[in-house]
Amino acid sequence: MNFSWARARAIFWKDFLDLRKNRALLASMSALPLMLVVVPAGVVWAYARRPDDPNLEVIARYYEATVRGPDAVRFLIDKVLVDWFSVYLIMPVFVPILVSSFAIAGEKERRTLEPLLASPVTGLELLIGKSLASLVPAIAICILAFGLLCLTVDFAAGAAVLPTPMWTFGVFVIAPLFAFFGNGVAVVISGRVGDSRLAQQLAGMTVLPLVGLAAGQFGGFLKAGFTYYLLITAFVLVLDVGLLLAATRLFDRERLMTRWG
Amino acid sequence: MLTGLIAPTSGSATVCGHALSDPRLRRKVGLLTEQPGLYDRLTARENLVFYMRLNEVDEQAAWRKAEKNLERFGLGGRSDEPVGGFSKGMRQKLAIVRTLVHEPSVVFLDEPTSGLDPESARTVRDAVAELAAEGRTLILCSHNLAEVERLCTRVAVIKNRLRRVASLTELKREGLALEIRVEGDAAAWVPALGRLPFHPEALAEGSRLTVMLANEGQAPDVVAQLAATGARIYAVTRAARPLEEAYLELVREEAS
Repeated sequence: MNFSWARARAIFWKDFLDLRKNRALLASMSALPLMLVVVPAGVVWAYARRPDDPNLEVIARYYEATVRGPDAVRFLIDKVLVDWFSVYLIMPVFVPILVSSFAIAGEKERRTLEPLLASPVTGLELLIGKSLASLVPAIAICILAFGLLCLTVDFAAGAAVLPTPMWTFGVFVIAPLFAFFGNGVAVVISGRVGDSRLAQQLAGMTVLPLVGLAAGQFGGFLKAGFTYYLLITAFVLVLDVGLLLAATRLFDRERLMTRWG
Repeated sequence: MLTGLIAPTSGSATVCGHALSDPRLRRKVGLLTEQPGLYDRLTARENLVFYMRLNEVDEQAAWRKAEKNLERFGLGGRSDEPVGGFSKGMRQKLAIVRTLVHEPSVVFLDEPTSGLDPESARTVRDAVAELAAEGRTLILCSHNLAEVERLCTRVAVIKNRLRRVASLTELKREGLALEIRVEGDAAAWVPALGRLPFHPEALAEGSRLTVMLANEGQAPDVVAQLAATGARIYAVTRAARPLEEAYLELVREEAS
């Protein structure tokens, strides 16, 4: 059967509607963005309130020996925000994992897969519809959280420190690629294990490298910047292509039926 | 397999003129699964609209028909309620309406009353009987032979392989049965029949005893045996054998 956008849209509509009515999932989806906004705003607020604190200069010079006196606070605020982008990237990976694991493995758990596959929907339409239902909210949440982050951080700093070109590029280009990665991992793992909670747990482990990178940056072992994030993005792009191929292969109707049904 | 869900390992079949590998087949058939497979957080209307969109049918026209079916199955005023709050019988009836949203020519019903309480099972059975009356081809997969007897006109007996395809009346006619009405509980006389040299199969239900015979000549022996052991016999009639007997015989043939 030929590919039909109408059927892919129907899958997206149903999953999106189901997500909107799933209060528990919505709550777990909004907890992470709130944390990712509140923590850096709090740190920036703490720095900005103590511009003359000599300890801040000591901390700044740990990262950059040339920083002097009043520049220390601004340096630390900028550094926190650049490094925080690694942590922020957890969100576009994690939110699609939450949604996709539920939307895909959940079909088996709720015994809805058999009637669904008895309809004219193709594997590709199913894959695209379900991926959109996970990517659209994930990217929307990332953009909303970014807007909130800009407002709170600027308020805490008492100056316009966000958005920067790096953050803007990151939110609108890098974050969607990471969301695609999170969705791809969840799709592939959900297709294998067929249990939404197990799929979430296994796919959730893919955010650990990001936590490791952030720890390296805050520890002063890794120096983050625009080029650094571009390199990570190139790597994720390669992973995205691999995951797309794997997911397309996995979303064969018969394979879904015999593995999940 | 006949709904196009899985491919055969060998052999071929056509449904409505379409080979099993032909994706157009899925537009022609409807499948009611053992579990209704509905989305609990969605309303009845949303569940149906989803399948209308998957089947790319005219949504307004399909909804008008679906509304009529909802009304017919007693779900008329419930279309905007989440399905999670529905009883098992209501869910199964909604699943039947969903199966019909694209007007399939053939509807497959997989154990439609399995796991339902007697009242829900009856309403679902009535709904299936109404569909059958519309002239649509219904294929009922069931282990419940009483249900098959009530709803089906042709029967295919499958045990590892296809054993027999015949009309219900043909299957029941093959083999002779006597229906004997006795005083009291008919089950009390079953052991007496077991002492006959040809050991006839006997089913007791209330005061009615159905005895399967290999030939007509065994009938007087059965009646004589019952009378000799003290049964008070009110009526003896020739009857069609129950489907269960026909099924067991076909399965036993293979075993022997």
